[in-house]
Amino acid sequence: MENDAAKGIGGPSGAPDRRQARWMSGLWRQARALVAASVLAPLIGGALLILQASLLASVLHDAIIGRADRVTLLPSILAIGGLIGLRAALAFVSERAGASAAETIKSRLRAALFTRLLDESPAWTAARPSGAIASMIVDQVEALEGFFARFIPALVAAAILPLAFAVVVLPVEPVVGLLFLVTAPLIPVFMALVGWGAEAASRSHVRAMARLSGLFADRLRGIVTLKLFGRAEAEAAHVEAASDELRRRTLGVLKVAFLSSAVLEFFAALGVAGVAVYVGLTYLGLIDFRTTPLTLQAGLFCLLMAPEVYFPLRQLAVHYHDRAAAKAAVAEMAILFDALPDLSEREAPVRPAGDAALVQAISVAVSSLTMKTPDGRHLVFDEAGFSISSGEQVAILGQSGIGKSTLLEALARLRTYEGGIVLGVQDLQDIKEEDLRNRIAFLGQRPRLFQGSIADNIRLGRRDASDEEVRTAAEKAQVLAFADLLDQGLETIIGDGGVGLSGGEAHRVALARIFLRDPALILLDEPTAHLDVETEARVIDAIRVFAKGRTLIVATHSQKVAAVVDRVFHIADGKVVPAKTDMRRSAA
Amino acid sequence: MKALFSFSPFFAHRSGAFLLAIALSVLTLGAGVGLLGVSGWFLTGAALTTAGVAFNLFGPSALVRGFSFLRIVSRYGEKLVGHDATLRLLADLRGWQFRRLIPRVPLQGKAWRRGDLVSRLTADIDALDTVFLSALGPIATALVLGTAMTAVLAWYLQGAGLVYELGFFGASLVLPAILVLAAIAPGEAAVGASADLRMAVLDGVEGHTDLRALGATAWAQQTFTDASAHLQRAKTRQATIAAIGNALVQLFAGVTLVGLLWIGLDAHSAGALGGPLLVGLLLASLGSFEVALSIVRSASRLGAAQAAAQRVKALSETAPAVRDVDAPKELPQGGSVTFENVCFGYVPHRPVLDEVNLQVGAGERVALIGASGSGKSTILSLLLRLADAQAGTVRVAGENVAQVVQADLHRRVALLSQDTPVFLGTIRDNLLIGKPDANSEDCRRALTAARLDAFVSTLPDGLETWLGEAGRTLSAGQARRLCLARVLLSQASIIALDEPTSGLDPETERDFLSDLSAATSGRTVLIATHAKLAPGMVERVYRLDNGRLSLSEA
Repeated sequence: MENDAAKGIGGPSGAPDRRQARWMSGLWRQARALVAASVLAPLIGGALLILQASLLASVLHDAIIGRADRVTLLPSILAIGGLIGLRAALAFVSERAGASAAETIKSRLRAALFTRLLDESPAWTAARPSGAIASMIVDQVEALEGFFARFIPALVAAAILPLAFAVVVLPVEPVVGLLFLVTAPLIPVFMALVGWGAEAASRSHVRAMARLSGLFADRLRGIVTLKLFGRAEAEAAHVEAASDELRRRTLGVLKVAFLSSAVLEFFAALGVAGVAVYVGLTYLGLIDFRTTPLTLQAGLFCLLMAPEVYFPLRQLAVHYHDRAAAKAAVAEMAILFDALPDLSEREAPVRPAGDAALVQAISVAVSSLTMKTPDGRHLVFDEAGFSISSGEQVAILGQSGIGKSTLLEALARLRTYEGGIVLGVQDLQDIKEEDLRNRIAFLGQRPRLFQGSIADNIRLGRRDASDEEVRTAAEKAQVLAFADLLDQGLETIIGDGGVGLSGGEAHRVALARIFLRDPALILLDEPTAHLDVETEARVIDAIRVFAKGRTLIVATHSQKVAAVVDRVFHIADGKVVPAKTDMRRSAA
Repeated sequence: MKALFSFSPFFAHRSGAFLLAIALSVLTLGAGVGLLGVSGWFLTGAALTTAGVAFNLFGPSALVRGFSFLRIVSRYGEKLVGHDATLRLLADLRGWQFRRLIPRVPLQGKAWRRGDLVSRLTADIDALDTVFLSALGPIATALVLGTAMTAVLAWYLQGAGLVYELGFFGASLVLPAILVLAAIAPGEAAVGASADLRMAVLDGVEGHTDLRALGATAWAQQTFTDASAHLQRAKTRQATIAAIGNALVQLFAGVTLVGLLWIGLDAHSAGALGGPLLVGLLLASLGSFEVALSIVRSASRLGAAQAAAQRVKALSETAPAVRDVDAPKELPQGGSVTFENVCFGYVPHRPVLDEVNLQVGAGERVALIGASGSGKSTILSLLLRLADAQAGTVRVAGENVAQVVQADLHRRVALLSQDTPVFLGTIRDNLLIGKPDANSEDCRRALTAARLDAFVSTLPDGLETWLGEAGRTLSAGQARRLCLARVLLSQASIIALDEPTSGLDPETERDFLSDLSAATSGRTVLIATHAKLAPGMVERVYRLDNGRLSLSEA
C-alpha cells in the first residue's frame, strides 16, 4: 500500500452550497441575546482600548515632558487600571456569552436532529449506519462550536475595529491615520488573503492530519486481522512511512500556506515600525507634514494603536478554520438526514397517555395485503387476506425468510403496506399512534436492549410499574432464571459496556416488557426461539395465561407453541392460509 | 504530568527540531518585544531631542527595521520547523503505539470491548502529537523570554524585575497550571456526558422499532435530552474556566503595566531612568504577554494531552492475554483440528463453551450452527489462540496450540472474522495482506473463488481500484467477499470462516456456498454460519446450544 498517502491529500473537498451556509448562519437566532453579547463586548472593549491608550500616552507625556510627579498622575494611572479591569471583564463576557450561545445552538440542533430521527419510520433509520448517525449528532455538531463561539465575534471585530481605530487616529496624526486608512480599503483584500491562505492552509493541513489519523484508525481497526496474517509489523512500518511521506508533501503545501500568516505579520510589523520611524523623523524635523508640532502624547498614542489595528485580523486568521469545519459538518448533515432540520418550529414532545383505554380483545381483518422485500424486487405478500376474531389465539408457521416477521410488523404499523388491515372496526391507518400503542403489544425478532439495568429495560413496557410488578413480569418471562445468578440480579447493568446477554436472554427481557402491558392484541415474533425445552414450556404457559381474553398472533417455528393455539396459519406463495391439519388446543 | 513526562523520550528523540522550533519561537517573540521597546525608546528619544542636536538616527531605525524583518522570517521558520517536528513525532508515536498493541490484541476486558476504542486511541495520539506545538513550545518560549526580560528590567529599574516576574510567570505558568487542574472535573464530565449522549442516539437508532412499538419514544427523547443537557452544562463550565483564564491574563498584564509604570515614574522623576528607556521598557513588557495569552488558550489542550497520555500509557502497559511459551514446540505438518473438553467464559458463572469436543480431520469441511451469541465465534478464536481456553486443550495437527509459536499457528490457520475490515488501499493491497508475494493471477483466482471477479473486471482500474475509508466504495456484500478472497489467497491449510455469507443476497449466498468445496479443495474448513447448507456442502454439521456442542442431523 504505497500510494495511499499520496491519495490522502487530494480527496474531494465538496463545496457545500450557499443555502447550507445561510442555514448555518441563521442558527444564531436560537441564541440571539448571547450571540449579540459575544459580538458587542469586543467592540465596547475596542472603544475602551482607545481610551486606555490615550490615557497611558498622556501619563507618559506629562511625566517625561511635563516632569509631573507620579502622585499627581495617580488618578490617571488608577483610571488605566480600571479600564484594564473593565476590558478583562468584557473579554470574559464575550467569550462566555459566545460559548453559551454555541452550546445552546448545538443542544437545540441535536434535539431537532434526534426528534426528526424518531419521527421517521424505523425503516428510515434502518437504512442508515447507526455509527454515522451517532457521530453526526454527537461529534459533528461540535464543529459548530468554533463557528459561533469564536469565528463570528472575530469576524465582526475584524470588520469594524481596524477601521474605527484608523478613524480615531486620523485627527490626532493625519499621516498615521492615513497609513491606517490606506490599509483600510485593503483590509477586505487582506481578509480575502487571510481567508484564502488560512483556509487553504488549514484545509490541507487539517485534511492531511485527518487522512493520516484515518489511516492510523483504519489499520488499528483491523489490527487483529493484520496480526493473524502476520502483517502487523509491516503495517506499523507502513503507518510510519505514510506519515513521513505525508509530512514531506504537507510541508510543501504549508510552505505556501504559511505565507498568509507572514503577510499579516508583515503588516503588523510595518504598522509599528512605520509609525515609530515616521513619528521619530517628524520629531527630529526630518519630515514635516504638519502645521502644528506633534506632541509626545500624540506620537505614543499612534504607536500604541498600531499593533491593535492589525490584531483583530490576526485573531480572525486564527479562527478561520472553524468556519470551514462547520461548513463541512453541515454539508454532511444535509446528506445523512436528507435535509437540514428547521429549528424555528419546535414542538413539545408528546406525553405518553396513561393506560386508561378500556381493553378488550379486538378482531383483525386483513384484505388484499401486498408487500415487497426492502429492495423492492420480490413480493412477500401478494393480495393476501385472512381474518381473526377477537380473543382468538393463532400461530403463523413457515420457513424463515418467508414473511412472518414482515406480516407482524405490518400489523403493528411498523412497516408500510398496500391493502387493508382493520383492527376491530377501525382501519389500522386511522388509529391514533397513542391509542394504537396502548392496544397493541409487539415483540420483534431482534429486540434491542437499552443502556441501563435489566429492571429498567423491563420497565419500558410500563413506566410506572412497581418493583414488584417488574419482578413478576421477569418471573413469567423466565428472566429471573438467569438474572438471579448475576451478582446484582435485576439491577445488573446491560447493554454496551455492561454484561452481554445472549440472544435468548435478550428475548426474554423483551418478553417481560409485554407482560407489564395491558394490550388487546398481542403480536409475538418467535417468542421461544433459542430456549431450551423446559424454559420454553414455562414461557408458553405464561403467554397462554397472559393472552386469555386478548387476541394473540404468534409467529413461530415451534410445534409446541402451535399446539396450544386455536388456529394455525401458513404462509405460502405470498398468501396466508389456514394450515391443512388444524391443530386444536391439546391441553385445557 | 507524570504520564505526559513518560513520553519525553519521543520529544528527546526529535530534540534537534524541537529546540530549533523553540529557538525560532523565542526569536519571533523577542523580535516583537524588541520592536515595541525600541520603537517606544526611539520615538520618545526623538521627541526629547531639541532641533539641531545630533541624534543617532541610524541605530534605532536599523533596529526597528531589523526587528520587523526578523519577526516575519522567524515566525515563518518557527511554523515550518514546528509542524515538521510535530509530523515526525506523529510517525514515531503511531508506529510505537501500533507495535505495542500487536501482542496485546484482541484486548480483553469490558473497557476495551467498547466500539469507541479505536476513535479514542486515534484522538489520544493526535492530542499527544500536537501538545508540543500548542502548549510545550509556548511554555518553553515563555521561560526563556520571561527570564531575559526580568533580568533586563532588574538591571535598569530597581524593584521592577520582581513585579514583572510575578506578573509574567503568574500569567504564563501558574495560571495555566491552575486552569489545567480546574478543567479536570468538567473535562471528565464532558467525556462521560458525550458517551451517554452517543449511547442515547444509538439506543434511539437501533431500538427505533422497539421504541415505537412500546410507545416509548418520549422516554428515548427524555434520555437524550438529559444527556444533552449534561453535556451542555459540562462544556459551559469548561468554557467558563477558559474565559476566566483569558480575562485573568489581561488582568495580570494590566496590573504588571500599572506596577511598572508606578515604579518607573518614580525612578524617572528621581532621574534614575531616562524617559526613552521608561517608555521602551514599558512597551516591551506589555508586548511580552502575547505568549502568556497563547499558553492560557491552550491550557485545555495540555489537560487533554495529559489525560490522553495516561490512557495511552495504560493501554500500552496491559499484559498480553496470550503469550508464547518459553520453549515453544514445532508445529507439525497437517491440517487436523481437535477440541478436547474445552471450557471458556468471559465472565464467571456464565460459560460460553462448556466441555466442547470436536474432531476435524485434515481436508474435512464442517459447519458450526447455533443462535447468534451461542459461542460459534469463540470456538474459532480459541482455534487461532486469540484467547486461551480455561480448561481443555485445542490442538492443530495434533499439537496443543498453546505450546507453539503464535506466528506459526497463524500461518497454518486463516480466519475470516465477522468484523474483519476492508483496509484503506487498493483491491490488490487488500488481497496482498493474505499473501504478500501473490501475483495478479493468484489475486484473480481468489476473486473468482469469492465471486467478486465479475465486479472487479467492470472497474476501470481493476485490481488497482482505490477503496475509500472502511471500503466505502464497496457494498457490504462486496466488502465481505473481498475479505473472503483475502483468506482464500492465504497459504493456510486450515480455513476458519465466521458467517462468510453475511451481507450477501440469498442467490449469491447459495452460489458461494456451492462453490466453497472447489475453492477450498484440499484444505480443512470450519464454517460458522446461519445460512442454509445444501447436502454435501460440508461433511458434518455441529450445533452449539447453551455452551454445548453436538452433532446435528440437519
